[in-house]
Amino acid sequence: MQRTKRHLLSWLVLSMGMATGVQAEPPEFDAAAAGRFIEQYCLDCHNADDPQAGLNLAGFSGAESLADARPKWQKLMRRVKQHEMPPPDVDHPPLEERAAFTNWVTATLHEQICGDGIWRGPAPIRRLNKSEYRATIRDLLGVHFDAAYALPDDGAGGEGFDNAAETLFLSPLHAEMYLEAAKQALAYAAKDARAQKIIFDGQPSADLSVVDAARKVLERFALRAFRRPPTAEEVDALLSLFTAARQSQQSFEEAILYALQGALVSPNFLFRVEQRSESDQPEPLNDYELATRLSYFLWGSMADDALLELAREGKLRDETVLREQMVRMLKDDKSRGLAESFMGQWLGVRRLGVETKPNAELFPEFNYELEDGMRQEPIRFFQEILAEDLSLMTLIDADFTYANKALARLYEIDKTAGKEINEWTIRLPLPEGSPRGGVLTMAGVLTANSYPHRTSPVLRGKWVLETLLGAGPPPPPPEVPALPEEPQETAVTLRARLEQHRADATCAACHKLMDPVGFCLENFDAIGRWRTEDSGQPIDATGELPSGQQCDGPEGLKKLLLERKDDFARHFTTKLLGYAIGRGLVDKDYCEVDRIAKTLQDSEYKAQTLVWGIITSPPFTMRGN
Amino acid sequence: MRNRFPLSRRTFLRGTGVSLALPWLEGMLPRASASAAVADAAPVRMAVLFMPNGVPPKKWSPSGVGREFELSSILEPLKDFKNDIVIPTNLWHQASNTGDGHYVKTAGLLTGTTINKTVGLDLNCNGVSLDQVAAQAIGRQTPLPSLELGTDPVDLGVDAQVGYTRVYGGHISWSGPTRPVAKEIHPRLVYERLFRAAQPHDAAATSDKPLLDLVLGDAKRLRAQLGGHDRQKIDEYLESVRALEQRLDRTTSSDRQAWKPRAAVEHAGTLPAAIPESHQEHVQLMLDMIVLAFRADVTRVSTFMFGNSVSGTDFSFLDGVKGGHHPLSHHQNEESNLKQYELIARWHIAQYAYLLTKLREVREGERSLLENTMVMFGSDLHDGNRHSPHNLPIVLAGQAGGRLQTGQHLEFSADTPLANLYVSMLTAMGVPTKRFADSTGPLPGVLA
Repeated sequence: MQRTKRHLLSWLVLSMGMATGVQAEPPEFDAAAAGRFIEQYCLDCHNADDPQAGLNLAGFSGAESLADARPKWQKLMRRVKQHEMPPPDVDHPPLEERAAFTNWVTATLHEQICGDGIWRGPAPIRRLNKSEYRATIRDLLGVHFDAAYALPDDGAGGEGFDNAAETLFLSPLHAEMYLEAAKQALAYAAKDARAQKIIFDGQPSADLSVVDAARKVLERFALRAFRRPPTAEEVDALLSLFTAARQSQQSFEEAILYALQGALVSPNFLFRVEQRSESDQPEPLNDYELATRLSYFLWGSMADDALLELAREGKLRDETVLREQMVRMLKDDKSRGLAESFMGQWLGVRRLGVETKPNAELFPEFNYELEDGMRQEPIRFFQEILAEDLSLMTLIDADFTYANKALARLYEIDKTAGKEINEWTIRLPLPEGSPRGGVLTMAGVLTANSYPHRTSPVLRGKWVLETLLGAGPPPPPPEVPALPEEPQETAVTLRARLEQHRADATCAACHKLMDPVGFCLENFDAIGRWRTEDSGQPIDATGELPSGQQCDGPEGLKKLLLERKDDFARHFTTKLLGYAIGRGLVDKDYCEVDRIAKTLQDSEYKAQTLVWGIITSPPFTMRGN
Repeated sequence: MRNRFPLSRRTFLRGTGVSLALPWLEGMLPRASASAAVADAAPVRMAVLFMPNGVPPKKWSPSGVGREFELSSILEPLKDFKNDIVIPTNLWHQASNTGDGHYVKTAGLLTGTTINKTVGLDLNCNGVSLDQVAAQAIGRQTPLPSLELGTDPVDLGVDAQVGYTRVYGGHISWSGPTRPVAKEIHPRLVYERLFRAAQPHDAAATSDKPLLDLVLGDAKRLRAQLGGHDRQKIDEYLESVRALEQRLDRTTSSDRQAWKPRAAVEHAGTLPAAIPESHQEHVQLMLDMIVLAFRADVTRVSTFMFGNSVSGTDFSFLDGVKGGHHPLSHHQNEESNLKQYELIARWHIAQYAYLLTKLREVREGERSLLENTMVMFGSDLHDGNRHSPHNLPIVLAGQAGGRLQTGQHLEFSADTPLANLYVSMLTAMGVPTKRFADSTGPLPGVLA
């Protein structure tokens, strides 16, 4: 264990060095050096007498100081690492010293947080969210029917996803809507031959009494609906609904469907329930629970018959079986459930047409087909990365994408392999010289981070820092000081207007971080179309990262991001782990993130290495505590 | 027996909304019972309309105080209602002067409290909202304790920059510190819900009861296996199921005390199947639902969010506006931005006037529905460019059954608690309240 830890630390030190573009081994750095660093660069403002932003760093006394206030140090380390602090107008540490300091803080924090024991974290009960409910009803009844249509939308929590247990609330509205949804879905199923076959795997006959047939049907349904074998008591309760309906002259089918309404509003169906750990020792989930975790992570829906069968046989925790299942599931088209939810929310493309809508007069091209193309592109792209086990760096830059006709036209591609493109989204190898490839240049991403009338380098810059690097700028204050009273002259170009804005010191502190990153994407208009001028002025796509590294246009920005592979991979790992376990990460979860990120670095950032790392990590495989 | 479980195709069809595709339901409920109820003393109703992003500085307040006041250009659409409104100025929530620019102010608008800073874990608004306090006191008298409406689904993601989940920005109604109340945004679905809720002796309701009993049984068993926090989640669901059960009881009971609609749940026009493309049409349909619900007495408490916190709704459909709401609210003192920002605020006031007009058109004996209602309009900040929490733009309209003194501009000293107005409103609602958040008493001059 000691050896592993040391190995991990040296990796951390190394990767952080690379992160800031410093390739050489950083110089010796210890607590005393950290103290000198703080004194020289921080204490002028963050002192005991008048601590700026309420942050007092005067009492620093070595590694113990970090243990006393971890969140504070994590934040501080991030700010220094992202070049947000110290601010531009004061004394600056050279790059190497900055890296050495952040490496020391990171390593010290890691050592303090990550003990030798197994960390599993909480696993709170959660209801199915709206999209999980939709997909689960689809698979449970075998119907193509949107049963979730009338359910209220879910907010997001934790790592930014709507499957986070902490923000899946229940309102008075829910019970009523679940009941209505169950009725409508079963009404639809009653008229659908495929659904009938799935539901009625028993019929009364000479050998099977009506009640026995009903019991068989209900038991089978409850196993699939409750994601585990039902108890006798639960089956009896469903059977009594069936019997009551029969007594009022309903047919066998009608009475079964009535009982199924009961199953679909039962908390056993609506909630994902796991047994609680009774002991202090980490305890693995049972096979049914693991099957459910896998299916909702990789498919956003219930386990299929193959998974349930493996669970029944108790084989799912066998490493070979588990790996086979992972690959099978990622190659199944149901991985769309993961790709759609995860990419839609991580990239913010789900915002299209809801929170962000290009102005119809200025952008008549933004019609339903184009919007659909923009939505599908990242989904299909990520599905391929998962199924084909591509490098995660494909997300930053790629030589292919997915598009329908409208999107391909926006990308100035008419044909592929000599064939016309129609309204269906297909795989599209990108021609030489295309500025596309990777999520950064996807029209959906660029549109979702624009205003209805124009681009926003601010939103785009913030998006790059926050979404790809996990380095959002600090927030604006609760009450911004007043601007000068006299009305301002309107500047001609957007760049000039933003420069005017940054002239105000309060605004500049954050906007100087965001805006210049966004400038590198100015060659894309508000619907992500390539352009070389704006309002008659040539586009100036030069900008820089907070580190001061310069970029010119999207290719330059991608190149800079690809110099920070480990930062990106680690951040992407936190996002996907947070999505997989459906809760916000806490300190100790980052030990798992570091472990998985290490395996990624060793495997050329292969996508399935990441998924494997997650589904075999204790927070995913163990009962909660 | 067949009547006990009328699980026929008809029931299923009704569930699928097929019958609702028929022409609108004028007179589908017995008119006699509806009009008979009108003779009873009409109840007081309360609605709150929330506008995100604030108003341009120095453009809101009326000139002149007391009964002699002139409406500002933003408030001008209320000119027909000058005698039906109170405009209290210089109110604020002390508790929202912290945290961030928007979320603290939005989620705390009706609670007067400070929300926990979190992207999810330990989400807590530390209070109960004005509307829910009222609903918890009087909501049992109607099929729906309250009705929460809006136009946008909860915004995507968490705002990692400011460290808040956007759940906060999507909710002004809180039934408990950790319980944001989901809002409905689809006019037709709201209508269907109101229609269901107003159906007395509905056959489907009878067959629903055993289903709910099964849920209660399963939940009880499940509850016993779970730990504290998980149990709370199941309890939330149980509560939601019990509320539905109670409603079925109330509307199916033959008891004299049982609820009866005061008017048929009907609609004059044709309700579109989808959410309308036009923002104005969407807003007005949602406001129609408030009128419908209040008129039929399906509920007496409602909130409506014109948009979520930080809403970027494109207001280019207004002459002279080109852009989204939130970006324009950061006007940077540019003349052209300020003008557009003002036009957007004025449009919101015009929609408010639309609701007041509709309420005034409904007669309830001697009075109009507006005279039996109080409708607060408010934003959670003043100057959006500064995120200023001072002097919140607030209007209160309607007489609440003659309990409010309308027709005045009341100017208070700087930073008077808005919670004082809530104390007055709850009192007018017949929910005597001594203290609400940081209140120091009722707001002088509001109650008749």
